[in-house]
Amino acid sequence: MTAVPGVWRTARITPLGELLTPPRMTGVAVQLVIQTVLVVALWRGLYADTGPTTAGLSREQAVTYAVLAVLATRLRELDRYAGRDTVMQHMHFGTIVYWFLRPVSPRRYYALRALGDQLYGLAWAAAGYAVCLAVGVVQPPHSAGAAGAFALSLLLGQWVLYYIMLLIDQLCFWTLRNSAAMLILIFAQNLLSGVYAPLWYFPDWFVTLSAFLPFQATLNVPLSVYVGRIPLADAGPQLALQAGWVVLLAVVTRLVWHRAALRVVSQGG
Amino acid sequence: MSGDTRITGDIQVRALTKTFRTTTRRPGALGTLRSLVNPLWVTKTAVEDVTFSVAPGELLALLGPNGAGKSTTIKMLTGILVPTAGEVSVAGVVPYRERERNARNIGAVFGQRTQLWWDLPARESFAILRDIYGVPDAEHKARLREFDDLLELSSFWDTRVRHLSLGQRVRCDLAAALLHDPPVVFLDEPTIGMDVVVKEQVRGFLKHQVEERGRTVLLTTHDMTEVSRLAERVVLINDGRLVMDGTLEEIKRKFGDTWLVRATLADPEAAVSALPGIAVLQREGPRVVFGPEGSHAPTVHQALKQVIERYEVSDIALEEADLEDVMRAAYQGAALEASDVLEESAVRGGAGS
Repeated sequence: MTAVPGVWRTARITPLGELLTPPRMTGVAVQLVIQTVLVVALWRGLYADTGPTTAGLSREQAVTYAVLAVLATRLRELDRYAGRDTVMQHMHFGTIVYWFLRPVSPRRYYALRALGDQLYGLAWAAAGYAVCLAVGVVQPPHSAGAAGAFALSLLLGQWVLYYIMLLIDQLCFWTLRNSAAMLILIFAQNLLSGVYAPLWYFPDWFVTLSAFLPFQATLNVPLSVYVGRIPLADAGPQLALQAGWVVLLAVVTRLVWHRAALRVVSQGG
Repeated sequence: MSGDTRITGDIQVRALTKTFRTTTRRPGALGTLRSLVNPLWVTKTAVEDVTFSVAPGELLALLGPNGAGKSTTIKMLTGILVPTAGEVSVAGVVPYRERERNARNIGAVFGQRTQLWWDLPARESFAILRDIYGVPDAEHKARLREFDDLLELSSFWDTRVRHLSLGQRVRCDLAAALLHDPPVVFLDEPTIGMDVVVKEQVRGFLKHQVEERGRTVLLTTHDMTEVSRLAERVVLINDGRLVMDGTLEEIKRKFGDTWLVRATLADPEAAVSALPGIAVLQREGPRVVFGPEGSHAPTVHQALKQVIERYEVSDIALEEADLEDVMRAAYQGAALEASDVLEESAVRGGAGS
C-alpha cells in the first residue's frame, strides 16, 4: 500500500479544535498558572521546615522538578472528550467503524493524532517553561549535555506514555468502556512517574517497585536528569531502560491492534 | 482514482455467513456469579448463506426488519467484519483481506453515526479526508463544488459539526463519503430521522450519483418511499437469510399484490358476475367492490380496464396496497417461511436421529 503524503496532517485535528475553542485555551492557561503557583508555594513551604537538601534534592531542584512536572502534564491532557473523539466515545457511538474504512490503518491514524496532541501540548509546556525560567521559578539545566540528555529522555518518556495511553484505549475493544481503567492509570501515572512528588522522596521498596513499571520512565527519569538528581554520567542506563520500555510496549500494542481489528464491536443488526 | 482508471464497482456475495460467539448470563444472582467463573457461550448466526450481486452503476436496496442482518452484511462488505464463511468481492477486492485497498474503492454512511470531526467545521473535515485519501487539491475543490450544487453545503460547511442539524450533518457525511470518488457506496439507513425536504434532497443526490456518475450503491432503509424512488431491485433478508432477490414489482406480486376496485354502477339493478381473475367481494345496490382472485389475478390497472369495459359505471375508485403494506406482508411472510424451514429441519433432524 502506498503511503498518502498528506496523511500526517491528521495530526492537526485536536490542536485545530482547541484553537477554534478559545474558552478551552483560556482554561488551560488559568489551570497552568494556578497549578504552578500552588506547587511552587507548596515545595518552598515544605523546604522551609527541613534542611537545604532532602532526599538528595535541594529546594531549587525540588521546585524546578515540581514545576516541570506540572508543565509536562500538558503534553497529553487535551480535551478529546469534549470533541467526542476518545476511543471510548467512538466505540460507544459506533463511529469507530470509520477508522477501519479509511486507507490509513487505525494504528497509524491513532499515532498521528497522538503526535499532534503531544506537539501541541509541547508548545504549551515550552511557553510555560519560558515564562517560569524568566521569572526564576525553574532553574536552567546544569549543562548543554544535561539539556541534551533531558530532551532525549523526555522524548523517550513521552513515547512510553503514548504506548501506555494506547493500551488503555485498546481496552475499549474488549470492554467498550475504559473510564475506570483510565482513572486508575491517571492515579498510577501521577504517583509512579513522580508528578505528585519526585520518586526520590518515597521509601526504597516503592522506588524498587516502580523500577519494574513503565511509569517512572515517562517523567521521573527526564526530570531527574534535568535537575541533576541523575548525573549525566549515570543517564545512559536510564535512557536505555526507557528505550527498552518503548520497544516492549510497541510490540505489545501492535499485537493488541491486530487482535482489536478482529473485535470491532458493531452495534445494530 | 477517477475517469478511465476507475475500476468496475460491482459487488459479489456468495454463501456469506457470519456467526457471533458471545457469553450470556445465567438467571439469578447465583447464576450471574457462576457465569463470571464459568461463562456460558452462545453462538448467534447473524447472516446465513446469503448470495447476491450488484452490477456496476446499480442501486440495490437491502431490506429487512430490525435485526435481520442488514448492517452485519454491510459491515462484512466494507471489511469491518470478517465473514465466518462465504465469499465477498467489492470492486474486485476481498474487503476484509485488503482493508486499506478496499477503503479507496468504497464510501460509507452509517445512519446517524458521523465520520466528521465534532469540533471542526465540516469543511475542515473534508480537507482532512482529502489528506487521508490523497485527493489532489483541484479534484477536491471540483468535487466539493459539485456536491455543494446538489446538497447546498456551502451555507453551513463553515459551521462546526457539533452545531449542525441532523439533516445538515448527514448531507455533509454523504459528501465526506464520496469525496474520494469511490465507485461503490454503502448507505446504512442514511436518511433516518431527517425531515421530508432533506430526505428528498438526499434522494436526488443519490439518484444523481447512480445515474450520472455510475456509482454502485447498496442501500439499507426502512423508508419505503425511498425504496420506491431509488431502487429498481431489492434484496430482502430476514433472520439472516435471503428471502427474495428481485424487482419491486416481483416483491409486490409475491407479497402484496392486493387491490380493490370500488365501482358505482350506472344501473343499480345490473347483474354483476366475476371476471377472469377478479372476484366480486361485496355488493350493496349500485356499489360493487371487486378484488383479485386466484394466482393469476390481473394488476389493478388491468382490473380497472376490465371493469370499465364490462360495466357502465358512474364512479370508480382504486385502492392499492402501498409499499409499506407490501413490506409488512413480506416481513411477516418471510418470518413464517423461516419458521417453516426451521420446523422442517427439526423434523428431518428428529427423523434422522
